[in-house]
Amino acid sequence: MRLTSVLATVFVAVVLQAAFSRYTVGGTITFDLVLVGVAYAALQWGAAAGMVAGTLGGLIQDLLGGGIIGVGGLAKTLVGYLAGTVGAQFVLARPHVRTAIVAVASLLHRIVVLLLVAVIDQRWSGLPWVAMLIETGINAGAAFIAFQVTDALPGVVERGRASRRSGFSRRQW
Amino acid sequence: MLSSTRRTLSLLTMLCVGHVLLISAQVQTGTGMPVLESAAFGAFSRIQRATAAVADAVGGLWGHYFALSGAARENDELRRRVLELEAELQAARARNLEVRSLEQLLAVRDALPTASVTARVIAGSPEPGTTLITIDRGTDDGVRVDMPVIAAGGVVGRVVGQPAGRSAQVQLLIGRDAAVGAKLESSGAQGIIQGGSRPDRLLTLDYVSSLLEVRTGEVVLTSGTDTVFPPGYRIGTIEQADPPGPRRQILVRPAVDFSSLDLVLVLLVQPIGDPPAGGGPGGPPS
Repeated sequence: MRLTSVLATVFVAVVLQAAFSRYTVGGTITFDLVLVGVAYAALQWGAAAGMVAGTLGGLIQDLLGGGIIGVGGLAKTLVGYLAGTVGAQFVLARPHVRTAIVAVASLLHRIVVLLLVAVIDQRWSGLPWVAMLIETGINAGAAFIAFQVTDALPGVVERGRASRRSGFSRRQW
Repeated sequence: MLSSTRRTLSLLTMLCVGHVLLISAQVQTGTGMPVLESAAFGAFSRIQRATAAVADAVGGLWGHYFALSGAARENDELRRRVLELEAELQAARARNLEVRSLEQLLAVRDALPTASVTARVIAGSPEPGTTLITIDRGTDDGVRVDMPVIAAGGVVGRVVGQPAGRSAQVQLLIGRDAAVGAKLESSGAQGIIQGGSRPDRLLTLDYVSSLLEVRTGEVVLTSGTDTVFPPGYRIGTIEQADPPGPRRQILVRPAVDFSSLDLVLVLLVQPIGDPPAGGGPGGPPS
């Protein structure tokens, strides 16, 4: 069940990333919804789920992105592990606390990717702070929405059921 | 608890080692894993087409039926037509340049290829910040690897990877490893345009004679020396050029606005050295 949920999270994140990145091609605005999915899986289901999501999501991105396969996978695996570990250490009930973790994870992920690319290329091109902060902001926003939606969903479903039950009992009488 | 932590750490180590080995293999060979990439792209492009269709359908619902039903459709058609006419204009300009040089040489050469197919951008790359796009035309429409792709403004990029039946990936000119043979319209001086090295998305023009005066605003066209892009297509304009001298920097602003790509044209020309499939029209005489 948990593996299915992780796979579904990664799949939805990759599809959304591909669909939305169509509108930002060539621009300076970047975002990484797959990373949001990885952090989400890590915070919801633990470090192991975060690592599996990170490996899968990162490898799919690498395969489809045309870059070196494994760079995104490694970075997202590490971030998934760290987010899951942090999530297990603290009680993270509020969405904005989990959103803050996603924001830190975004920055960390970008730094790890840049370091890996620098090691591979043997050339350090510096930290693009503006782009990193924009990406972090968008990722955090997306994560906040995702957490709010998933937190609210059970309540909405329950209220809908209750409303249907009460409507049914009124009809009975 | 301890056992669970140990298991998690073991999994982390295993995954990290696996990734490092994967990266090492590619860096050593420098070729990547084309079969794996091709299979992944083929499978995922179907999903991309579906999501693009849904997005277009939702967008089109308002545009076509609720707001300006006829006008929106006509607008779509006109945009396609404008794109085709722009391509013809660019081809005509390219032909003009060719004719001028051919007149000087008193030689005759085949007309420039203008066969093209209109394609819609259906997805960006899932990898953030990278410069690949997916278009809704593939091998079924005659699209092959290394075919040039242009838009109304000028050169967009080239088809990379192995195209699927109904989709293909295009490497944009501003991409990290993109390069194209270029020449200055006024002087005809040749160089190489390279993308991807600057955060502001400007292109760099290298290997131009260090003695040549290059002026801001000068138009840069494809030279055809790269055997991928036919000569005479607009790449961009000179944004900034250092005075003549060694190691000077020349920056070019692309003619195409890559942030708003929607419709593009794939020029159905076979790159030199790549034999046409099936020996059909356009193939070498037997």
